[in-house]
Amino acid sequence: MSEKPTSALPKEDTKELHHFVSDAPFDLRSVQTLTPEQEKIYFASQLTLMWWKFKKHRVAVWSGVFLLVIYASVLFSEFLSPWNYQTKHTKYIYVPPQGIHLFHDGKFEGPFVYELKRKLNLETMTREYTQDKKKIVKLSFFCSGDNYHWMGLISGDNHLVCAPIGKPFFLLGTDRLGRDMLSRIIQGARISLTIGLIGIAVSFFLGIVIGGAAGYYGGWVDMVVQRIIEVLQSIPTIPLWLSLSAIMPASWSPILIYFGITIILGLLDWTGLARAVRSKLLSLREEDYVLAARLIGAGPSRIIGRHLVPGFMSHLIASATITIPTMILGETALSFLGLGLREPITSWGVLLNEAQNINVVAIFPWLMIPVVPVILVIIAFNFLGDGLRDAADPYK
Amino acid sequence: MKPLLKSAAMLIASSFIGLSQAFAAPPEEPRVIDFKALEKSIGKKGGSIDILMGKWKDIRQMTIYSNARLVSYDQTFSLSPDILKSVDNDGQKSFTLHLRKGHKWSDGTPFTTEDFRYWWENVANNEELEPAGPPAAMLVNGKGPTVDIIDSHTIRYTWDNVNPLFLPALAGARPQYIYMPAHYMKQFHAKFADAGKIAELITSEKVQNWTSLHKRFGRQYRPENPDLPTLQSWMNTTKLPSERIVFKANPHFHRVDSEGTQLPYIDQVVMNVVSSEIIAAKTGTGESALQGRYLRFDNFAFLKKGAEEGNYKVVLWPSGKGSEMTLLPNLNVKDEAFRKAFQDVRVRRALSMAVNRSEINETIFFGLAREASNSVLPSSPLYSDEDAQAWSSLDIEKANALLDEAGYDKKDSSGTRLLPDGRPFEIIVETAGESSQETDILQLITDHWKSIGVKLFVKPSQRDILRKRVSSGEAMMSTWEGLNRGLATPEMNPEELAPVSSVQAQWPVWGLNYESNGKSGEAATLPEVAKLSGLYKEWRAASTRDAQEKIWKEMLSIFTDQVYTIGVVSGGLQPIVVSNKLQNVPEEGIWSFEPTLYFGHYLPDTFWLDE
Repeated sequence: MSEKPTSALPKEDTKELHHFVSDAPFDLRSVQTLTPEQEKIYFASQLTLMWWKFKKHRVAVWSGVFLLVIYASVLFSEFLSPWNYQTKHTKYIYVPPQGIHLFHDGKFEGPFVYELKRKLNLETMTREYTQDKKKIVKLSFFCSGDNYHWMGLISGDNHLVCAPIGKPFFLLGTDRLGRDMLSRIIQGARISLTIGLIGIAVSFFLGIVIGGAAGYYGGWVDMVVQRIIEVLQSIPTIPLWLSLSAIMPASWSPILIYFGITIILGLLDWTGLARAVRSKLLSLREEDYVLAARLIGAGPSRIIGRHLVPGFMSHLIASATITIPTMILGETALSFLGLGLREPITSWGVLLNEAQNINVVAIFPWLMIPVVPVILVIIAFNFLGDGLRDAADPYK
Repeated sequence: MKPLLKSAAMLIASSFIGLSQAFAAPPEEPRVIDFKALEKSIGKKGGSIDILMGKWKDIRQMTIYSNARLVSYDQTFSLSPDILKSVDNDGQKSFTLHLRKGHKWSDGTPFTTEDFRYWWENVANNEELEPAGPPAAMLVNGKGPTVDIIDSHTIRYTWDNVNPLFLPALAGARPQYIYMPAHYMKQFHAKFADAGKIAELITSEKVQNWTSLHKRFGRQYRPENPDLPTLQSWMNTTKLPSERIVFKANPHFHRVDSEGTQLPYIDQVVMNVVSSEIIAAKTGTGESALQGRYLRFDNFAFLKKGAEEGNYKVVLWPSGKGSEMTLLPNLNVKDEAFRKAFQDVRVRRALSMAVNRSEINETIFFGLAREASNSVLPSSPLYSDEDAQAWSSLDIEKANALLDEAGYDKKDSSGTRLLPDGRPFEIIVETAGESSQETDILQLITDHWKSIGVKLFVKPSQRDILRKRVSSGEAMMSTWEGLNRGLATPEMNPEELAPVSSVQAQWPVWGLNYESNGKSGEAATLPEVAKLSGLYKEWRAASTRDAQEKIWKEMLSIFTDQVYTIGVVSGGLQPIVVSNKLQNVPEEGIWSFEPTLYFGHYLPDTFWLDE
């Protein structure tokens, strides 16, 4: 047996190992190169990112549109309402909501309502209205009707839609003095919706200034502010509102009272916001870029205003949208209790206050309609706030 | 063993007393109610009814509904004896009161002249209990009567001069009590009771002194003490505070029906105290067997709707008030410019004439009220068209002319008149904030007054605060109901027409002057008001009905011509809810404090349950 020594190694391949060298010029970042789509995202501004994220929240978008439309209507309340909201139609007291018709006797007549026949029912002491199917009241658009003072400044008589003066046209019925409910609701929106904005401005200002100081300086400033906030938050709100609104003198004009109440609401509402601002600042002020700014020689107000606040502005906006409904509800609650706004100012709270009795529930249910816009606006604001909060943190 | 025996004996004794109460009877000489004349049906005894009230202080409504008075108003609104068997009236100067034989307090103790003596000698004339002396109805020119107690059932009051106030005061809705259960009250009186015991009670009841103790336990009009014996048809058995106050039939009540059955028929009245806003709602579900208070005309439709399910009927009683709502310009307001304005009759007349009463009637009262000033009602013998129509018809032109003439002819850019000191003519009307009807009427008036260049602001507050602000002169103008005695007869006290009380919101300071016998307040400076004061004094000295009638009419004509109160409309309607089980409640009645005592005039003790 002849033994051949065998190598442990395999036989060398005769073929050369393929060697590859890229001809392309050397690029250090080639791995990180972005596709155009990626580029769009990575280089987008914060605001654009938020907008994209927000757009995905469909409900929030529609809520936003709804609120925009409603707020826009506030500017033209007088024009949009069919009557002056203060006009008392003493012949048409407690008229139930009317329907709009298009065809009369099979003929197209354009939008119209039927005239009403009133009968005093001495058995039940109610006013009974029946449609007079023979007489129609044609509605006209962009017409002159009831007189009004636009924002108390310019007098006019143009309405989007109106019926001839003296004819009944009450889409949402009338109240106990014969005032058109639809006009009152439209007019009430002006007060109820704006009271939130003014209040929020006051509370925003106080919240950022006080919370900012507490968070940035820390130490005893923080300590004092925290305790004040705790005290303010521990006071039950309704009794506090009541006593504050009782202070306002009766001789003040309703518009002054309205401002007084907004400011009261704002003065009490800044605490939550101040807390949020403080905690954000506490964490942000430890960041390197703050240190850098300080080393360059920036003062506290510049650091807070230029470097820190923008860092959580989006968060603030979101929290503001959630606070506005509380303001609206606050006004409604106060007026509902008869301690907020008073006649002749008309707000949704004032309207609901008037609906607060057994007669309304049992016999005149349409007087409770102002609940509907309140609910819709509050829900819309909540959805909008929800969407904004999600959007405020787009990388999540 | 001994204490056990004692308690057993006490148990037997107490059950015996209970038994004797159960067999209690009316006086030997009861007041027999003529059921035929009143068109009432003979009922049967027993049962319990529920009524609703808004606050526990309304417990006094039971004293008003019960309507047991020494004398009371009969069907023609003249005075006739009720608790008393008879009264001998000698020219309004001397009154001999005869009590019923065998009449007892609700606890079974005889009701005698001793109870009158106790009140007159030990309460009215006790300087500690009544520092101001006996009440006005007992004084003529500051002098009280001579009281002769003839026997245990006869007592005579004699004055030097006529006292026409005496009998009407006894019959009032809030009557003048001239008697007290002496046997019960003596335990709280320093003169009779043991000093140690009184001191003990003062500590346990947490009061200042024995007089407050005596007052607290002796309130007859507001029967909050369940132990206080009473003469009313039902007696309170619940210690306050409570949300459910139970009244039981008085076993010694002095009225019987035509067949001799003792009244009241109904055994028990339960007064449930709930928030006044929900009374209409609760009544609509049948939770009250008899309700008028806290129901408003605008609840009628709602109440009618629930009538079948709630097993009740709703009727409308006209109100007996002189006006459903009046505006009261405060002639004593602190603000000098407004004081001068309100004291000017031209301003008051202009304000009244600018009110569009027919619009208010149409809108708020369904067109069923009368557009009139604050005066008496047509069914009163003192009524005249002239008074009712005085300065109450709408005439904007004339109102404007009157204001111009009074020197308020300058206006600012918005058309509001200016006061001489340059401030705008803005009137703040303060209300008790108790009814939305008030606010609605004021809203309509706000528009009406705009056309004469006067601005109106409404300030709702609260009853007690309002009273305080009015009497201190801080409130410019307030609202209240019109004359309580809209159904006045010449015998009734015309005090509402003259400054006699600091509660009168149109002249609180002048009223206080009379009330305090000139010690505080000021005498009326306006000649017409002074004339009213003078006439009031004349009425109090008038001995014949004719003389009284003449004075009443003159006072009414000054009062309405000078427009001290601006009446809106009169003759509003009050919904009354009556359970279908409850019998003898009349379909037609008049809802007023005086003289009908709300239900009192229709004798709730004759109401019975048909179950």
